[in-house]
Amino acid sequence: MTDLSQATTPRPHRPLSRQAVMSKRRAQMRRIMAESVRAVLLLVIIVIFLFPVIWMALAAFQTQIDIISPGWGFTPTLRNFDRVFSEYNFLRYMGNSFLVAAVSTALSLLLGLPGAYAIARFHYDWLGVVLLAARIVPGITFLVPWYILFSRAGLNGTYIALILSHMIVSMPFIVWVMVPFFEGLPLEVEESARIDGATMLGTFVRIALPLSVPAIMTATIMSFIFSWNNFMFSLVLSGDDTRTLPVAIFNFITYASIDWGGLMAAAVLITLPVLVITVFMQRYVVSGLTAGAIKG
Amino acid sequence: MAPHRTTQTRTSIIHLRRRFQRLSFILPALIFVVVMMAFPVAYNGWLSFHEWTGSARRAPEYVGTDNYTELFTQSDRFFPAVKRTFLFTGVVVTAELVFGIGIALLLRDAFPGHTVVKTLILLPMVATPVAISMAWLLMLEPTIGVFNKILRDIGLTPQPWLGSQSQALWVLMAVDIWQWTPMMAMITLAGLLSLPEDPYEAALVDGASSLQSFFHITLPLLVPTLLTAVLLRSIEALKTFDIIYTMTRGGPGFSTETLNTLAYVRAFEYFRLGQAAALLVVFFAIVLGVSVIFIQMRRSVSMRQAL
Amino acid sequence: MFTSRFSVRSVFSLLVVVSLLLGVSPALAQGGEEFPISDQYAGTQIRVIAANHPWNNAIQRLIPDFEAASGITIRLESYFEDQLSQRLQIGLTGGTAEADVFMFRPLQEGLLFEKNGWVADLREFAENDEAWNLADWQPGPMGTVTSGDVLFGIPIVTERQALYYRKDLLEEAGIEVPQTLEELEAAAAALHDPDNGVYGIVLRGQRSAAVTQFSSFLYSFGGQWIDEEGNSAIGTPEALQAYEYYGGLLRNYGPPGTINMSWPQAIAVFAQGQAAFYLDADILYTNVTNPEASLVVDKVGFAPFPEGPAGRRPYSVTSWALGMNATSENKGAAWEFIRWATSPEIVRKMQSEFGQSGARSSVWASPEGLGGFPPDLAEAIVINGQTGVGFDRPRVIRVGEARDIVGLPIVVAIEGGDVAQAVEEAHAAFQRFLEQEAAEFGE
Repeated sequence: MTDLSQATTPRPHRPLSRQAVMSKRRAQMRRIMAESVRAVLLLVIIVIFLFPVIWMALAAFQTQIDIISPGWGFTPTLRNFDRVFSEYNFLRYMGNSFLVAAVSTALSLLLGLPGAYAIARFHYDWLGVVLLAARIVPGITFLVPWYILFSRAGLNGTYIALILSHMIVSMPFIVWVMVPFFEGLPLEVEESARIDGATMLGTFVRIALPLSVPAIMTATIMSFIFSWNNFMFSLVLSGDDTRTLPVAIFNFITYASIDWGGLMAAAVLITLPVLVITVFMQRYVVSGLTAGAIKG
Repeated sequence: MAPHRTTQTRTSIIHLRRRFQRLSFILPALIFVVVMMAFPVAYNGWLSFHEWTGSARRAPEYVGTDNYTELFTQSDRFFPAVKRTFLFTGVVVTAELVFGIGIALLLRDAFPGHTVVKTLILLPMVATPVAISMAWLLMLEPTIGVFNKILRDIGLTPQPWLGSQSQALWVLMAVDIWQWTPMMAMITLAGLLSLPEDPYEAALVDGASSLQSFFHITLPLLVPTLLTAVLLRSIEALKTFDIIYTMTRGGPGFSTETLNTLAYVRAFEYFRLGQAAALLVVFFAIVLGVSVIFIQMRRSVSMRQAL
Repeated sequence: MFTSRFSVRSVFSLLVVVSLLLGVSPALAQGGEEFPISDQYAGTQIRVIAANHPWNNAIQRLIPDFEAASGITIRLESYFEDQLSQRLQIGLTGGTAEADVFMFRPLQEGLLFEKNGWVADLREFAENDEAWNLADWQPGPMGTVTSGDVLFGIPIVTERQALYYRKDLLEEAGIEVPQTLEELEAAAAALHDPDNGVYGIVLRGQRSAAVTQFSSFLYSFGGQWIDEEGNSAIGTPEALQAYEYYGGLLRNYGPPGTINMSWPQAIAVFAQGQAAFYLDADILYTNVTNPEASLVVDKVGFAPFPEGPAGRRPYSVTSWALGMNATSENKGAAWEFIRWATSPEIVRKMQSEFGQSGARSSVWASPEGLGGFPPDLAEAIVINGQTGVGFDRPRVIRVGEARDIVGLPIVVAIEGGDVAQAVEEAHAAFQRFLEQEAAEFGE
């Protein structure tokens, strides 16, 4: 992300008159006021944005009776988490989610990075347009045709079907992030490498990719998160063995009334990895989410 | 053979090889796009001229443009859904834009804990939507939910929230705004920090107030960035599915039914695969139309600014 | 304490009489002889797709016995109700045999599956299997899984609409258990006390989900979904009355937000002790008698559906059945599994130990048949079954769409809108729907 120095650099001073000193004091007062207003506003904002997440976490430690009782108090319990793991096989779904997200991200990089490089360097603009169209087509459009396709190939309910479907989101996204980045790389380095006899592929692998590590990090992290969160495609394409977390959480709305505690415990477990990634990789997440908006 | 011809052949071979090398960069992506994107989209278009329940026994039956006529002349749920889709998108994108700019301004200057705040407000948009919807459902529950608990405790009338045809859509909008305002804030913030310094210095010399300089300098400079952000958000907002499906399924009544959920219902609950396909084609045209408008707007703004 | 008007013993004798009338000897299939399981398909693997349903949870515990006896391996996948429906629909749409056996809702998907040729006809299997004994099955529930001559499923769960009430609140107010819909409304009004956190009544109010529960009211007011000629019947004064009554109950004496409530939300309100009455499927009762999820465990009583102007006409239906994929390559082994899962032995176990009511006359007639239910619920089940109607939603092919059409006036009625107009519009839309369906699927 753009660094903060620009905004925080003090602006140049002008010589001060006596009157200006007075007004400076007033300005100082005003600034303190403004600062405290800002602090309060920020606090309110943080409370608003965090409240649902905190509430979810709190409910995860309550029994069903505590949740449905009118009062506020509760005795914390770990039973919900225990049940999520023992009765609902959650570890397995976590494994599935991880596998699908990791492999679909890796494959999307494998396809998307050269593609983005080619679009940026060799001007396959039409491919860029087609890939961006993937963002516009409503996802449901793909579902029935895919299903028919996958059944013909005997792939329904397999990891392969899931991975391929998740790539429809990840791959275009990776291209979206990488094209402007590759375009911004200085051409000279690559050209001199070419003159020294490097092949196109060699230039790409040895010159362009190492220079792009931050952008690739961004693309990787975001692609992983999108895949981890994907619901609609997994709902239709996953089987019992390959079910991912967002679909598994749906099983908590069972025929035996809503188990709010278990539901919230599961919600916490699904969200936790993404939150951890975000906290430690904040910089990349931000640039991923703002990708494409801040150029030219 | 004349020597210059040999060179020409050689260059054309080199040229061909180069072309092939270049093509090999995009070939894997291209195959993926054709199989996973182009085929489904084409199949969907084909299906929109047929009626099919998905039967293995009865093949799709050609019905001409019946599915489209049905949509525009007979369906009593299509136009309300169009209206809701636009209302939803218009309200959430506007609110997210306004709140996003506000938050970005608050975050522009560094302060202790700056990074922590920025990280915390990222959480709504990275958290898994299905999980978050469940948390909102619990909080909005009319009898045990925390919102009504609070209302009751401070002596106000509890609200039905999602259990009201007039409130439900607005509640879903609130959830969407909660989820996506941070993205607008982040994009605006990045835009703010990349703005040039000089116009501000000039304004300071002219004695402009901070409000004036915001409306006359900051905002106009931000327009291209904001337009792109609005474009990205509008595309996503038009297609909102996860939160509506998991929280209301288009109800109560049909009060939160949008084009995306209507298409889903037609395909997977009514087994009208042809009608669903027709709806999806129209829906795609709408999203495409909106995108083109924004892209044009952005282009003309950048051109005007470049002049 | 409120005393029940029927004794459990009289219920039993009634049952015996009923089953005798049906021509079934209660002694049959009741004896200790074991149900024969063949091992001719040993080594085969059967894929079963099932709903997240107590029946499924129960059968999973028993499956190892079957696997041991038959040598067949069962691979069972479970999905949430709607997810299951979509999964089956899309799975079967693709024409694949990814499941051999599946759980489905005959009233919701049955006709569609059958019309589309997705389900195998089980008649031959059923008729040639003596030990399994087709004659033992109750004709009502069997009717729901039959279309013409085709038997497209075997009932596994049956349900009827029962009245759940709070014994303590009724007793305190000196109110008798309502026997008629009129009394029900009066009692709900009397017990409605939102300031103290108790609402008179709670019912499903969600557009589509409410339709099944509303059906008993419709029938008991003398209404119908479809008349004999296959036309919409919801435009009648009786139907309008039913809509107004159902909506009025919830508007005047219900908790806020019922129009976004399906049964999990509605039963939660009752389990939280916030409603005096609740009407829904009887087999959901474990949700309010489970001390881990309910605050009203010892306070809940059960009664038959109250009588309306046209008598007591609750639905009494097969809610879940087992079907076989028409394209399954293991039909023999698949039947081996189905016949075991619906054998007298398993049905009896389901009914007595797991509270999952089935459709075998011999089980209903046996002393254990009702043993799994609270006595007053058992009584309600029997009484409801006597005058019950075999379907709880319009019997059409595209049930989902029909439910959305006929369910909308319920929402309008609850919100206090113009019910007459909503019903009129729904009537017209439903008529259009029926004509279109007749044109599309009529032979």
